[in-house]
Amino acid sequence: MSANAPLSRVVVVGRDADLWLSVNALSGALTCVGVQVVAVELPTRLKASLVSATLPPLEAFHTKLGLKESTLLRVTAGSFSFGQNVVDLSGNVPNFFHAWGAYGAPIEGSAFFPCWLKARRLGLNRSFQHFCLTAIASQNGRMLLPDEATAALGRTDYGYHLHTMAYVAYLKSIAVSLGIRLYEAQHVGVERRDDGSISAVSIDGSVSLEGDLFVDASGEDAVLIGRSLGVASDDWRPHFKVDRVMSASAPAFTSIPPFAEIRTARAGWTALHPSQAATGVVHAFSSGLVNDVAALESATAACGVKLADASFHSVNPGVRAQIWEGNCVALGGSACVFDPIFDVEIHSLQLGLVHLLALFPVSARFTAERAEYNRIMRSYYERIRDFQCAFYALSPVEGNFWEKARGLSLPAALAHKIATFRARGEIAPMEDETFLPESWQAIFTGLGVVPDSWSPATDRIPSNRVDEEFRRILEFIKKKVLEQPTHDKYLESLCRPG
Amino acid sequence: MGEAIRGHNRSAPFRVVIVGGGTAGWMSAAAIRRRLNPEDYAVTLIESDDIGTVGVGEATLPHIKIFNDMLGLDEAQFMRETRATFKIGIQFCDWDLPGDCYIHPFGAFGEPWGGVEFQHHWLRALQAGRRRNSLQDYSYAVVAARDNAFEFPNEDRNSIRSTYAYAYHFDAGLYAAYLRRWAIERGVRRIEGQVCDIKRHAAGGDVQELTLKSGERIEGDLFIDCSGFRSLLLGGVMGAAWRDWTHWLPCDRAFALPTQRAGALTPYTRATARRAGWMWRIPLQHRTGNGYVFSSRFIDEDDARNELVTALGAGAPGGTAPGAAAQAEPRLLRFSPGRREQAWRGNCVAIGLASGFLEPLESTSIYLIQAAVTDLINLMPKPGAVADPRLMNEFNRLNDMQYERIRDFLVLHYMANRRVGEPLWDYVRSMPLPDSLAHKLALFRARASLPNYQYGLFARDSWLSVLMGQGIRPQGYDRLADAFPMDTLEERLAELRNRIQTNVNAMTSHGEFIANFCGAAEAMPAEEVAV
Repeated sequence: MSANAPLSRVVVVGRDADLWLSVNALSGALTCVGVQVVAVELPTRLKASLVSATLPPLEAFHTKLGLKESTLLRVTAGSFSFGQNVVDLSGNVPNFFHAWGAYGAPIEGSAFFPCWLKARRLGLNRSFQHFCLTAIASQNGRMLLPDEATAALGRTDYGYHLHTMAYVAYLKSIAVSLGIRLYEAQHVGVERRDDGSISAVSIDGSVSLEGDLFVDASGEDAVLIGRSLGVASDDWRPHFKVDRVMSASAPAFTSIPPFAEIRTARAGWTALHPSQAATGVVHAFSSGLVNDVAALESATAACGVKLADASFHSVNPGVRAQIWEGNCVALGGSACVFDPIFDVEIHSLQLGLVHLLALFPVSARFTAERAEYNRIMRSYYERIRDFQCAFYALSPVEGNFWEKARGLSLPAALAHKIATFRARGEIAPMEDETFLPESWQAIFTGLGVVPDSWSPATDRIPSNRVDEEFRRILEFIKKKVLEQPTHDKYLESLCRPG
Repeated sequence: MGEAIRGHNRSAPFRVVIVGGGTAGWMSAAAIRRRLNPEDYAVTLIESDDIGTVGVGEATLPHIKIFNDMLGLDEAQFMRETRATFKIGIQFCDWDLPGDCYIHPFGAFGEPWGGVEFQHHWLRALQAGRRRNSLQDYSYAVVAARDNAFEFPNEDRNSIRSTYAYAYHFDAGLYAAYLRRWAIERGVRRIEGQVCDIKRHAAGGDVQELTLKSGERIEGDLFIDCSGFRSLLLGGVMGAAWRDWTHWLPCDRAFALPTQRAGALTPYTRATARRAGWMWRIPLQHRTGNGYVFSSRFIDEDDARNELVTALGAGAPGGTAPGAAAQAEPRLLRFSPGRREQAWRGNCVAIGLASGFLEPLESTSIYLIQAAVTDLINLMPKPGAVADPRLMNEFNRLNDMQYERIRDFLVLHYMANRRVGEPLWDYVRSMPLPDSLAHKLALFRARASLPNYQYGLFARDSWLSVLMGQGIRPQGYDRLADAFPMDTLEERLAELRNRIQTNVNAMTSHGEFIANFCGAAEAMPAEEVAV
């Protein structure tokens, strides 16, 4: 193929969500401009117990793929999630809520957070999340359906909890219905040209699939970029104590909470992802401190119910040194393995896809696109990593695990963010962030960081104005929440067939 | 630690001492006075009428309106006081090839049909040999500027007439004076005098006290260095190292020369590339500001002076030369392009020229002042406290980002040229580039992708206008543009072009708009000589 000829064939090798979301997204965008997308499916690594938690931007991504929300939730027995409730089981640390939505509203041109900080210092008896519409609604088992009035207050968003196997099956069925060419493989090998680029993948030693661009969507196995091309990963383990995860299943809640709950205990944390059919449980711990048996015990105690289908896997967080190498692009787990906190995996996949489409090569000469892709994806992944790292670095939870986690080294950008926040309650702005300033404010504050000072411009606002605004916001939240349907009722009406 | 609680336990006011007036000094004083509690912050500004401020007729960026609104200035009054005109872009002439002109607008190019950025649609039509106009014709602000038209952007976000922003040209000396009156009325203390001695605390090296020639001594908690190029405090006392950028931006001199206002009032700045630099033209209500920014490496001062005077066709003041009458002798400024490694050290913060200098090619000087003052106000120590190194780091980090973004953008104007055989232009065309710029260029050349920053300058459409204007032609475009039927594309391009022209035709002329809005329109008698 001549260097100037346009790319015409993309081969996606992978499994599960990484494969099917990629195939649908790439095909949806590229088929109509003459690029064929071919899928090679490796055996699943999914466990039946898994419930994926997703971030707000997925909704718009699904819309572009033509997915309907009601169908999605029905098929996956899914539910809504307005954020994460963090609970310390020892009872020493106050709960806090990380919401997908604005906290408070600007007051006389000043940001809300410093106003709250100051009022808190002067004796205000309301936590940060009291001023968050989404947090209050969801903690009361309600939806938050935005309207003009809520939009005037601020942003409201949500994610989902989806039974992963059902989600993946649904995505696959869409790919099939789109007529995408599918192959199944147990093993995949590569044929390479002299310049190192991949000319074809071989399936189970027999069928050979040629392509111009190859996507590795095989998760941590990284069969193309890791195993075949030998691209190593930058090790993030120095920043994270978690190296092992248990997934299990618990019965569904009678009334389904529209949020995730992260329960911290001495030896790690246990996340509950409620959905209509069951509750997904993820327990994160350090194998050096606790073995699998003890981990299961901790998780069971944290959930307060018997757990089923427990399975374990190791976690080695790190980012591929070159996410796009030669003509092979890694997406999802093969590009970057994250710590399990905050469930960023599907979002990371979405980011990779959005940027790959934005930089999709025009011809076989794509040095500039590849360089930019590597640069920007690394930047996005590092910002996500920093948000996760903050959770451990600042946590006041007691226990051997947390003590060790607090002692780990901080990435430089995060150290700077924490220092700036400690000094002034400001979130240092950086490019390529996934988590908005209020997310950072919410977790820093929830983890107990009290800044040494607040923005002096806040002192210009008369305190009676601030009090007025606080009252107005709280009353608005109370009124709005009472208007909302319950999560259960809403799900019921949404998922009713027809 | 421990905040001062209101009431009788309150700390003494935090003393901010600003060294130097001009736009940097008075913008700082006014913003601090406005945004911070006067009971908590006492602001003193020391300036000397004997020390001239640089104050050339200046152009600005749309951010200035946010600044003025923050102060509560009435727009028409501000424009009257400063003899301001509107600015919706900069016209660059002869930068790529002699005879070429393009406008960098404060506005959008085209529309993102099918979710794909406009430049890809335009490039597709170009590569397919289909009828289409220059990219410039698809920017509302460009077409308006070329027609010397102006009106406030429409509030309806669906209207083509909403797709731009505006800034001003004004007399920076008058702006500083205006802010000075505003600030003094609100309690800022102005001291006329010159600093002749600076006393530091024994430990730590922070500045404790300034002594003026008059003998008066002024203590402070935080010192804002607005002393211009001299950088009296940050450079001189705190020893912040200088990072020189002459190898990327060779211009290090400027002659400034005001001329009488003549011809239609243009709503844009003009920057014309010349043999050894470039000449600016800034239209004000009462006169036109002109100048030649040049490199002493490639031309000597006398030749530069003559080249400017000749180019304007302007003779001596009161002379009979054919061009617009000069209103003063050309005034020489010498500078170094570059910046202080840290703008905030100890208890000294440099704002304006004291922190660094980038030539005014994209009207960024006042923007840098505004950005620095805004960040300083957020990161300012509280009464009773000292400067927090953690917040100094953040200030410096933000400052770094602003300077580097602007530097890359300016270097782009120079390096992308085809003025072969002219020593300055041959030099900049072949010099090694900052990595960040080289990367952006490679990406645009490959497939017309543009930087899309969330913070700081420059907007995506700004990069587009300059990359294209400077002759960088992408080899490819976003494949997703191909999803659009070609005939529909052609129709849309034609419709857009017509819609723009029709709406621009309905606009008022810039001159008329100024006369109606803040009409101190007719040429004022030539007053102060300051350019």
